[in-house]
Amino acid sequence: MPEWKPEIRHRLASLDLEPSREAEIVEELSQHLEDRYAESLTRGATQEEACRAAIAELSESELLTQELRRVERPAPHESVLLGSNRRNRMLGDIWLDLRYAVRTLGKNPGFAAIAVLTLGLGLGANTAIFSLVNTALLRPLPVERPDRLVTLNYAAQRQMLPAFSYPNYKDFRDRNNAFSGLLGYRFAQLSLSHDGVNERLWGYLVTGNYFETLGVKSALGRVISADDDRSPGATPVAVVSYKCWRQRFGGDPAVIGKNVIVNGRGYTIIGVAQPGFSGTEVIVTPEMWFPMAMQAQIEVGSQWLDDRGWKTVSLMGRLKPGVGVRQAQTELNSIALQLESEYPDVNEGMRVTLVSPGLVGGEMRGAIVGFAGLLMVVVGMTLLLACVNLANLLLSRATERRREIAVRLALGANRFRVMRQLLTESLLLAAGGGVLGFLLAVWLAKLTAAIKLPIDVPLATELHVDIRVFIFACLVSLGAGLLFGLLPAWQSTKTDLGQALKNDASFGSLPRSRLKSGLIVLQVALSLALLVGSGLMLRALRKAQNIDLGYDPRRAIEMSFDLRLQGYDSAKGREFQKSLLERVRALPGVESAGAANIIPVDLHISSQPIFIEGQEPTRLADAPRALTSNITPEYFRAMNTRLLRGRDFAEYDDDKAARVAIINETFARRFWPGEDPIGKRFALGGPESPKMQVIGVAQDGKYTGLNENRWPFVYRPQWQYRVGATTIVVRAESDSQKMIALVRGELQQLDPNLPIASARTLVERLSAPLLPARIVASALGGFGLLALLLAAIGIYGVMSYAVSRRTREIGVRMALGAQRGDVLMLVMGQGTALTLIGVAVGLLAAFGLTRLMKSVLFGVSATDPLTYVGVAALLTCVALLACYIPARRATKVDPMIALRCE
Amino acid sequence: MTNINTRIFDRELKKGSAELLILSLVEARPRHGYEISKLIEARSGGALSFHVASLYPLLYRLEKRGWIKGQWVEKAGQRRRRYYKLTPEGKKVLKAQRSAWESFVAAISRITGTEHA
Repeated sequence: MPEWKPEIRHRLASLDLEPSREAEIVEELSQHLEDRYAESLTRGATQEEACRAAIAELSESELLTQELRRVERPAPHESVLLGSNRRNRMLGDIWLDLRYAVRTLGKNPGFAAIAVLTLGLGLGANTAIFSLVNTALLRPLPVERPDRLVTLNYAAQRQMLPAFSYPNYKDFRDRNNAFSGLLGYRFAQLSLSHDGVNERLWGYLVTGNYFETLGVKSALGRVISADDDRSPGATPVAVVSYKCWRQRFGGDPAVIGKNVIVNGRGYTIIGVAQPGFSGTEVIVTPEMWFPMAMQAQIEVGSQWLDDRGWKTVSLMGRLKPGVGVRQAQTELNSIALQLESEYPDVNEGMRVTLVSPGLVGGEMRGAIVGFAGLLMVVVGMTLLLACVNLANLLLSRATERRREIAVRLALGANRFRVMRQLLTESLLLAAGGGVLGFLLAVWLAKLTAAIKLPIDVPLATELHVDIRVFIFACLVSLGAGLLFGLLPAWQSTKTDLGQALKNDASFGSLPRSRLKSGLIVLQVALSLALLVGSGLMLRALRKAQNIDLGYDPRRAIEMSFDLRLQGYDSAKGREFQKSLLERVRALPGVESAGAANIIPVDLHISSQPIFIEGQEPTRLADAPRALTSNITPEYFRAMNTRLLRGRDFAEYDDDKAARVAIINETFARRFWPGEDPIGKRFALGGPESPKMQVIGVAQDGKYTGLNENRWPFVYRPQWQYRVGATTIVVRAESDSQKMIALVRGELQQLDPNLPIASARTLVERLSAPLLPARIVASALGGFGLLALLLAAIGIYGVMSYAVSRRTREIGVRMALGAQRGDVLMLVMGQGTALTLIGVAVGLLAAFGLTRLMKSVLFGVSATDPLTYVGVAALLTCVALLACYIPARRATKVDPMIALRCE
Repeated sequence: MTNINTRIFDRELKKGSAELLILSLVEARPRHGYEISKLIEARSGGALSFHVASLYPLLYRLEKRGWIKGQWVEKAGQRRRRYYKLTPEGKKVLKAQRSAWESFVAAISRITGTEHA
């Protein structure tokens, strides 16, 4: 029997009907023709006559199309599902799509697992980094109306610092009309003794209006009030944080009224602050609050409440309703002008700028934004890579599924309906990845909370995973789903039905493979950029190990404590240091032992203006600055710092002797170039400070960070200065852990109540300045490896797919005499070309990315050629390997089987 | 009817009456397209015949208006066919058209018919 359908379809073609409707009509009409044909045959017609009779039915085909056009054209087409109104239908569709997506993915669990895992890693990294940003930058302080709070920044002569003197604070507080409250606070190091435990922790000295202005209540007892802050030294009371109460006092309600010893003096705990409140900085979390009036007792040996030149209090104000930041700033600056004219010597050029609170007056904001920005770029690129990879996988899958899609289109699904179905699948994958990523982020946040950072500041390392983070995760997952789903969905519904249904092998190969090639190039480029970044960091870390520190960290330990906090005055403190050093030097194995108020490498080493005799600057602000620390005799031997000229300090360089100093090479070179510095004199701090004479020159070193420029440095004899914070350094042959235990024992024998701030090897100490670099290196390294893996999977997938598509072609070539080598070259050539283009693009991208990292690279240029070449070579090798496996498979093709295969 | 004018007349006439013919034919029971065309041809003694090109667009139009309803029916041993049946609305239309047609035919025949004195 003749086939009528093609004939009918041909005549209907111009109508461009919905495929399902067309199929229906074609079926009905062809049956009609069939009936006519059969009838003609039974009447005795020949097949040819019967056929002609049937075709005659279609004779007036222009009438057919014309009539059909009238009837069919306006018909809206969409299969009606579950209920009749639009919304119901849409919900029904989504439900159907979802069920279908689950079934489809369930049929291919390997693909689904890889997709969800890849996405989960990418999304998890993004969410974790975002929760860092959220914690540090976005989360408001847990106080009443945090949006109305501002931090005051002191700006004078190119100097910006978030600190004012206490007398200036009082004037700002009493003269302004912009704030409903202006509060002040200051960090304080505490040594806390209670219930037989000695602990070192951080707290705040706060003004009496602190809690009231913030609107922070107590969970137990009461908070510090204005009455507690009236007369200096009169109200030894303290408020503890909720966390401190739970962790250090076991959550015992009897803590109220409890007496504790802080910095050698008794205090009564009057309250526990509301849960979640831990001070007015976001990431530095104190545990106790004391009235500002107790300043002299908390900061033993220093008194600055009446010193207008001593800028040390951080200020935060609550704007009155209706007052804007600009208006407040204008008013504060007019007060600053008054104060400048009233006290010109200390308030010269004082200006006030207002910044949002929480990040040490915005000082840390820049650094954190930069660091978080870099990490966001890195994790963003990794996610992009994961999306590109998935897009590629989906494209390959779409090609496998093109028959299915074509059938669905032929049966009347419209294109957007099918795209929606495909997108539902991608979004389902994205949702899976999102859930995994969010869980990963929560887990990472828990993990970071347990990290003990090797720095002596109570940084809040716990990341806050809150609704913002959740929304971020949802949005990024959605974005990722659309990103990797849209393109393949668009591509795979752009099919030529006829060809697709016939399963034509050449179908759509060219434009799609160009797209896939583009994605491969992008993957290679992205992973190259990430790997170059981590390569640079690793090299920088390696370099940092060999950096000339100016001392030898090996075989030496340090132990630090603060004698001032324990109530020692300078005489008693000196006594303590001397007897401790004597005892330690007598320990078996100890080569040398010395002490200093602060040892490098430490960000807190302070700088002071220098006034060289005969070279005094006209203005204080123009004075050059030098870093300084106070050291005991034998400190240089303990640190293994070479003394290049002159002599070391001796026991007789005490407060009765002449003021002396040892300077470093940079100091000597800068201020007395070509001269012998020994015997020269200079002053530190101010032109009127006592002059000191140079008695020695020590080798240069790194002082505040590994990446710093050369600083002039001044060592002063400890015995000529106040004793407080102390770090003793012990160089010994024996095992360092044993040594630490021995030194700790000596310390406790001398003062059983002295809290030890840190006890570790000098090598361990170095992990602090290297911390940012380590974090960046491990982040970049981890993501770089992930990227490399993703790129390799991507290349492998695309190449092996290409090989399977070309099996027949390869078979023909081999049948015609191509050798295995030729085939290998053919396949490898394609992969190699893509890889090399990717490498070229990636090198450019890396060049851009690594410029962001300059500040954490020590001694390695951001364009270090070795790293670039090495990484490019590594990536090329991995990519070629990923090509080689499918290529080798291609050479194993048996021409006979290949030729038969279609 | 080879003359073009006659053909057009024929077409228009068929068009005008075709709806009524089809509705009447599916009144008693559902029928498929070929059956309808055969019935028209047979009952008109070959005077009226609907080809695919005129029959099916008409069926679809009636269906769209909601007067008839087509349904794929599968019978054992046969290919599935689309059967059209009269809907309640179609029934009303048929009734109205039938009476209109009857009065129209009566009127026409009064004019064109031989006069019975």
